[in-house]
Amino acid sequence: MFKLPKEVVDLINDPESIKIVATADEKGNPHCAVKDFFTLLEDGNLAFAEEFEGSQTNVNLVRAIWFAKNVELTVRGKDGTTYQIKGKPYKYFYTGPLFEKFYLAAREKWGPDSELAGVWVITPEEVKNETYEVRKKEEDKKHPFFRHLDRSSVRRTKIQNSKSEISN
Amino acid sequence: MENDELGFEEVGRKYPDFPRTIMRKIDTALRGVILSEKALQRAKEEDALYDASADFVGQCGFDLDKPALKVRVPVSAEALPVIGGVFFRDGTYVLGLESVTRGLYSPSGTLVRKGKPYLLDSVDGELWLLDLPREIKLPNGISRGEPMEEVYFAPIPAYFSKKTSRGTPMIKVISSRAPNRITINISDYCHFFKEKLSCKYCSIIPWLLHKGVRTLVNLEDIYETVNEALEEEGGFTSIHLIAGSDPRGVNQNGSHRGNSPYENEVNEYVEVLKTLQRCFGREKIPVQAIASAFPREQLLRLKEVGLSAYRSNIEVWDNKLFEWICPGKAKYFGRQYWIDSILSAVEIFGRGNVSTQLVAGAELAEPYGFKEMDEALASNLEGVEFFARNGVYTTFCILWVDRGSVFYREKQKLPSLEYYVRLAQGINEIRKKYKLSSDFNDYRRDGFHPDMDLVRLDYNET
Ligand code: SF4
Repeated sequence: MFKLPKEVVDLINDPESIKIVATADEKGNPHCAVKDFFTLLEDGNLAFAEEFEGSQTNVNLVRAIWFAKNVELTVRGKDGTTYQIKGKPYKYFYTGPLFEKFYLAAREKWGPDSELAGVWVITPEEVKNETYEVRKKEEDKKHPFFRHLDRSSVRRTKIQNSKSEISN
Repeated sequence: MENDELGFEEVGRKYPDFPRTIMRKIDTALRGVILSEKALQRAKEEDALYDASADFVGQCGFDLDKPALKVRVPVSAEALPVIGGVFFRDGTYVLGLESVTRGLYSPSGTLVRKGKPYLLDSVDGELWLLDLPREIKLPNGISRGEPMEEVYFAPIPAYFSKKTSRGTPMIKVISSRAPNRITINISDYCHFFKEKLSCKYCSIIPWLLHKGVRTLVNLEDIYETVNEALEEEGGFTSIHLIAGSDPRGVNQNGSHRGNSPYENEVNEYVEVLKTLQRCFGREKIPVQAIASAFPREQLLRLKEVGLSAYRSNIEVWDNKLFEWICPGKAKYFGRQYWIDSILSAVEIFGRGNVSTQLVAGAELAEPYGFKEMDEALASNLEGVEFFARNGVYTTFCILWVDRGSVFYREKQKLPSLEYYVRLAQGINEIRKKYKLSSDFNDYRRDGFHPDMDLVRLDYNET
């Protein structure tokens, strides 16, 4: 099975990193959802909790497991390190020890009236570093002529008084 | 398989939009599934196996070799393995297991099947359904069935091994035929058997027939067992009540207070519902009654004591076949009465909270059944559309031809895989057209209806 690098594993296990699951519906319309409970299993698969049986994510995942479609998981750490993992839904649990573990965690976080429909297990097939600096390097190398000419790596002139209005 | 029937792969190619997993589920019901010793051992290790032999001695045995006796006989000291259920990777229920599943006892070893059963076995540390007729040779020279689908076990509920304060094993009080479902079988009695008018596919052996009385499960046992089950965090999402039919009014032989049909049966539901209200501390409770066709005044009584959903099974849509296959229902009080009752329940419980079921395949039984698959499908879908137009959704179960039933004696055959695929597709299309939700009988609260598995792709719309 494809093995996720340690840096990705650490990011997944960090409770403060943001985790997003992207799926597609029958017509290919994308759908993204932030997930709170996400973990790496011993066998190398990823597991996350799905709160609602009727959510678009859940419906899309059912279609994906039935018709062997891919889903994508994005993990972003506090320092901006971002990874994108492509994979296929492997299993869905709504009973048993893994489900119970997630169910109790949800109870602890959201209280006695919390809901959790099930736990999806995803088999990762590909991982990509999507961190800004890493991607910039890759793109600059691949498409050097896509760069803006006023970038410091293109024009060695100090630009004075230029201030970006876009904050990051 | 009949000669002109399509095999699994051929059906898969002909209906590429139909999920293979659901197709495999149907096939497990038609062909059956045997568990290997290795699989049973694995079930034990994963807390998915419970030996209920001690709980059922003297009370849960059928003398299948002497069906004419129609009495209970003690089960031998043999183990009665109860497994927690087997699931395909997506959580779809595997059918056709030759064992007791989650406390639902069915002598399924006696079911008529179609072709060779699947073998559930452990392969390289994982559980698989193996296709025995498609043997493959391994490098070590041993041959085994070809792995078809990976599956997994569900653990048995913790309450299975507990007893009530009266000493009743809780597994006898409530069963859990799907992992998220509590089933309370409130009475073993079906009056239709007494009059030799049982539904022709029915193999429920009425233990209390010789006495002609209904015996309600002890209410305190129900109270304690349901409370215990509800302690299992994340364990259950719905409760289903089941009983055989009893068309009699109260005290029909003596001081009859009224003349409302099925009042006996309703009275039992009322008592159980009141008990469940105590468990939940609320008036309205997430409970479905799978019951006979009750008149409006009785349905209102059930609503008053908290019932949320109601299912009354029409079983066969075609009028003539209904009369032939379900003579008890036809006598008490005919197809139109059953239809009217189901429709009137919609006003009381609301659209999408009322359903009915077809025993799919019964309509093809010989000699009076449909001869052609297309005719049978057209009849079924006409019924499904009629009900859907009126706010009722229809599910189907796959016909069991089980020892003890009239159909078994008549050696009736099972329809093809393709038939069930087309029926599931057709019913699902109608349900989508009328935007009917069907939450009480879906893949995880029931698990026996292939059409309901398909609903998973529309949960965001209904
Ligand atoms: S009503 Fe028909 S199916 Fe139900 S228990 Fe009686 S005979 Fe069996």
